[in-house]
Amino acid sequence: MGVEKIYRVWFGEVYAENGKFKARRSDNLIESFKECLKNKEKIPFSLIKAGTEIFGSEEMYYKNLRKVAISTAYEKVEENLKRDDRYLIMLLKAVDEIDQSINLFEEKIRDIEEIKITKTTVEFREAVKNLKKLRKSIQDEINDLAAKIMPNVTEILGGVLSARLLEKAGSLKRLSSLPASTIQILGAEKSLFKAVSRIKKGKPAKTPKHGLIFQHPFIRTLPKSRRGKMARFMAAKLAIAARIDYYSGELNESLLEAIKRKYEELR
Amino acid sequence: MVEMSEISEISETQGIKIIRKIIHNAFVIAKGDKELLATKSRYSTHYGERKYGELREWIPYRSKFAAVLLKGYSIEIPPDCKMLYLGAASGTTVSHVADIVDQGIIYAVEYSAKPFSKFLELATERENIIPLLEDASKPWRYSGIVEEVDFIYQDISQKEQIGIFKLNSEYFLKKGGEGLIMVKARSIDSTTEPQEIYESVLDEIASSFEIKAYGSLEPYHRDHIFIHTVK
Repeated sequence: MGVEKIYRVWFGEVYAENGKFKARRSDNLIESFKECLKNKEKIPFSLIKAGTEIFGSEEMYYKNLRKVAISTAYEKVEENLKRDDRYLIMLLKAVDEIDQSINLFEEKIRDIEEIKITKTTVEFREAVKNLKKLRKSIQDEINDLAAKIMPNVTEILGGVLSARLLEKAGSLKRLSSLPASTIQILGAEKSLFKAVSRIKKGKPAKTPKHGLIFQHPFIRTLPKSRRGKMARFMAAKLAIAARIDYYSGELNESLLEAIKRKYEELR
Repeated sequence: MVEMSEISEISETQGIKIIRKIIHNAFVIAKGDKELLATKSRYSTHYGERKYGELREWIPYRSKFAAVLLKGYSIEIPPDCKMLYLGAASGTTVSHVADIVDQGIIYAVEYSAKPFSKFLELATERENIIPLLEDASKPWRYSGIVEEVDFIYQDISQKEQIGIFKLNSEYFLKKGGEGLIMVKARSIDSTTEPQEIYESVLDEIASSFEIKAYGSLEPYHRDHIFIHTVK
């Protein structure tokens, strides 16, 4: 008979031998803790029973487990917070570049196919298709990640638009320190500075009402005369949302509710 | 059941009177003419709640579990309960649950790193909390860590939350074990009427669990219901 199957658990391995489960303790609990996160199935035996054998008592079992879980969690939190916003920005840039490439390639392949369809053109088509697939999975990750690192901003703007806002600001820390008036016109810098320089020269000029956030349906679908009001209101709520996201990270539904109410009012 | 000895042990300071015991270490207390919920705790405050002697105020507007209890629905949770807690966030509710199951253990899962860093302070202080920074929709990842539990508490306001609850029960909830689910209508579908959402959610749960009770959390939390189930 011999060893039938090995199960990874946080304190090492448990293997089934002749119908019985036997536990083996790992030399490095932190390593085996991380390793068992790769598990893909249910454990068919009692963890606490196997673990008590290893550690001598339930009390020691929990004591060790707690120690390992806490130190792993601290490490993970630090890792997570440090890099996530930069990673998100890079993903967003990648998606934009992939978009350009897809357009370029599609145009090219169409031109070629008009002349002749060969094995190579079929392969070319396949490559573009795969690129589109990649684009979709990056986009999904952007949405997931945005909701994770800035739940409140994402609740209002959705994943991609939030990521764009983050890109403009540079980091979540910077976004959380921006005043609402800046958030309102993020992405409209060009027209803002144009207006400012005109004003300096004493010429008539209008400062922009909205930048990136114009893409939000609540602003885009309003009549022109009321977009400014809505943009101002939304930017104010976004400034609060960004601060909650940076300092606490818990979702607060009242922000989106207020924006919805304002939209109904203005519509 | 109210055990008088346990109540009289607690010092009645600062004009506080204990009215009744709800669960182990959880009491309804009177302060002036107001009734409050509180848990007995030897630890200090965690999220800005008040502390009266050994009693930590449990604010129903912050914690959905407190809202359930204050609405008059009581749940039996033994002090040595082993619990899987999905959606620990920054630990507001967990801190009180840890007071209640003071001889048990709480496996607390949370996916988001930001609130988790605050939660870790709590987990370091309390001896009965095991923190896991994991995605609750992938229970196989922590199958080699979490043992079979008596109770699953879930508050994760996600679209797939019922599926996630079922999956975790399959992995970790023992036969006859209980679950308490906080359902947020708005995060399941923001366009449908909450009432319709609740009906479909209850149907979905009833297909694999026995439903002990359910009810709204008004006026503490809008468009939320709790569901108490047995496997």
